[in-house]
Amino acid sequence: MSSESLIANLSSDLAPVQRRSMVREGGLVLALGAAELALFLGLGVMRPDISHMAGSPYLMWRVGSLGLLAVVACVLAIRSFSPTARPRRGLVLACALAVAAIVGGAFVTPDGASERALFDRIDPSSGILCATSIFVLSLPIVALLGALMRRAAPTQPRLSALASGIAAGACGAFVFAFCCPFNDPLYVVVWYTVGCVAVAAAARWRLPRRFRL
Amino acid sequence: MATASRERPSRTAPDGWSSLMEAAQNGHGGAYRRLLGEMSEWLTRYFQRRLPPGDVDDAVQETLLAIHRRRHTYDPQHPLGPWLAAIAKNKWVDQLRSLARRPVDELPDDIAVGDHEASVVSSSVLASLLDELRPAQAQAILLVKVQGYSVEEASGKIGLSVSAVKMNIHRGLARLTAIIEKSPDVE
Repeated sequence: MSSESLIANLSSDLAPVQRRSMVREGGLVLALGAAELALFLGLGVMRPDISHMAGSPYLMWRVGSLGLLAVVACVLAIRSFSPTARPRRGLVLACALAVAAIVGGAFVTPDGASERALFDRIDPSSGILCATSIFVLSLPIVALLGALMRRAAPTQPRLSALASGIAAGACGAFVFAFCCPFNDPLYVVVWYTVGCVAVAAAARWRLPRRFRL
Repeated sequence: MATASRERPSRTAPDGWSSLMEAAQNGHGGAYRRLLGEMSEWLTRYFQRRLPPGDVDDAVQETLLAIHRRRHTYDPQHPLGPWLAAIAKNKWVDQLRSLARRPVDELPDDIAVGDHEASVVSSSVLASLLDELRPAQAQAILLVKVQGYSVEEASGKIGLSVSAVKMNIHRGLARLTAIIEKSPDVE
């Protein structure tokens, strides 16, 4: 088929299209995250002392840093779906934010926590459960971001997929932060990072395979 | 289209392209046809500089299809050039990857031909030397010494007497010898 024939075919019976809107896509992700949080808390799994903990530096650090990271990463992921986007700089920003959040954990460590044995502080048996929960909670977000990515036109799909994974992992960790009973920042840093990295790696591996510009 | 003929549409895409795409997003087939036609010309030039000639049409059509499938992702508030360039670059990379995956057939031994370099160079040098002669001398030498006609046959073709043809050949060759001897790069 010649290019002229192709152009004639493409332009005949042309239907109007709904333009992509980043605000609408961001609203969808926000709505899904809010619904997931409401459903999760509605199941009665919120930690019982959450009202007592409200205002404590530890909870502010945990929820605040994860919430900020989730918002920033979601914005970066959605922006990266544009063909003209350059996601690399945004990913560096998200990683810098994550590192800053980890470092911030050192300032909210409860008194006496650092005197315990490292293995006890990390508590791998519980930690794996937490990381798995974060992974599961992030799946709806990563599925939505994957669908939005497929409908858009990222020209660097691997980086967009990685940004989506980081965003979904941060969202999952943010939701899980309301029910996680552990107060040691070292535990949170280790296992939340494991959960987020697992989601990011899975998204980076899986999403580009389902995408074709 | 004069402004769209350069390399980078980000700088040179006409403002009209944005409005044409906006109209296309609203379902205007005529605007879309015109836009794709102009883009097709630009894409052809873009890929001609980057791909083997046999792959240019494929790349252009693949890019047009991608533009069609993703036309809803264009934001009319921004220039169309960077959007088009990003998609074209992506398709270029795809084509390069497919080129790399394509099996390479070994050429048969009997496809080789003799080296024509010497005759090509000689022909080029002779043409430039003959330009230095009077037309009647150059024509006589070309017919008799290069193309192999007899003096009589050349006489009939040129319309001069046999002796005049001989004279032109003689004087022409003498002048060529003198030119060659004066030339500094003759070994």
